[in-house]
Amino acid sequence: MEYKDYYTVLGVERSASADEIKKAYRKLVRQYHPDVSKHKDADAKTKEINEAYDVLGDAEKRAAYDELGRGYRPGQEFRPPPDWGSQFDVNGAEGSDFFADLFAHVGRRGRAGGAGMGGMGGGFRMAGEDIHAGIAIDLRDAYQGATRNVTLRVPERNAAGRTVTRDKTLSVTIPKGVTPGQQLRLGGQGQPGIGGGPAGDLYLEVQLNPDPRYRTEGAHVYENVPVTPWEAALGASISVPTPSGPVEVTVPPGSQSGRKLRLKGRGIPAAQPGDLYLILDVVLPPASSDRARELYQAMARDLAFNPRDRIGA
Amino acid sequence: MMAQVHSLTGVLLDDVALTLEELARACDVEPDWVVRHVRAGVLGGAPDMPVQAASLRFRSIDLLRARRLRDIERDFDANEDLAALVVDMADEIRRLRARMHVLGMRLV
Repeated sequence: MEYKDYYTVLGVERSASADEIKKAYRKLVRQYHPDVSKHKDADAKTKEINEAYDVLGDAEKRAAYDELGRGYRPGQEFRPPPDWGSQFDVNGAEGSDFFADLFAHVGRRGRAGGAGMGGMGGGFRMAGEDIHAGIAIDLRDAYQGATRNVTLRVPERNAAGRTVTRDKTLSVTIPKGVTPGQQLRLGGQGQPGIGGGPAGDLYLEVQLNPDPRYRTEGAHVYENVPVTPWEAALGASISVPTPSGPVEVTVPPGSQSGRKLRLKGRGIPAAQPGDLYLILDVVLPPASSDRARELYQAMARDLAFNPRDRIGA
Repeated sequence: MMAQVHSLTGVLLDDVALTLEELARACDVEPDWVVRHVRAGVLGGAPDMPVQAASLRFRSIDLLRARRLRDIERDFDANEDLAALVVDMADEIRRLRARMHVLGMRLV
């Protein structure tokens, strides 16, 4: 694995004080916050910044990182020493491979496992941490349900008693009717507990892959439907492809671009099913032939039509 | 050697809600923190309702909001009311962006 320079990530000197590190972190968090940042890679950058601060913002982890990383350069192949990290607990799984392998041991603060918590003596039990991650699916999967593989890097004790990480692949069945932002819970798939404590849970936040044909808002789905001027003006029955298959739709006469036709219950089939909105988009045929130009000229001559009436022109 | 694949079915939080303890654990906070935010009207139901810890239930939106609140409070040592305001504003930005996207509009 490649060595990561967390000091460079946060833009601080290796000698920076805890306060300087915190200030640099806050500045970068504001700069790359996905809600306000215009950077294309704001999400990835935010993860990187959080990972760096998770280490440098914790005195114990920072000391361990400094000790291990002495002499390494960013991108250089990195191997932790063989006796590294034999006695610590595990960390969350949101960081990079480098982070997971290096700091599987120094550990975030664990949680007490209810009645089992009895100080650091013999009765010590601790529940494993929950893991939070995202899972991206297509809109069609939200309509039909899907199965997706999720790979997590999890800690494990090897034969020598050392904590090492390995990839664990879960085949996750996603029920139909999920909407963006909803959370799937997979009980017991988080980090393992300590001293017989229960494992944490895995939470997957559902995200939809962008689709040029459809837009969503909660369970409602929006689709632009091109129509000809005569279909819009005279009304027509047209076939429209939708996420749940083609449907026959009646275009009312006198329709204009932007008119919304609601197909009730044909949005994402959530507990409260969404609606599908077809937004009409009147497309003009090109005046690219003599005959087409003649027809446009006939309309100009025969139709007393001024679309700028309403703006006083 | 082929890696072992475990087959599992995800449970939608909106079908099976989280208890107070479960939400607190999922956010790595104390249950008191959650109760305080419910009482303030930032999480869960209406703030004027009496809060019975045992009967509190939380869904996807609460988990998302709780984790955002916790991050802002921790990252910036932020006052809880200010963190709530930031999260409310961020939610509104997201809602407006989604609306613009639905209407086929883009920020210039």
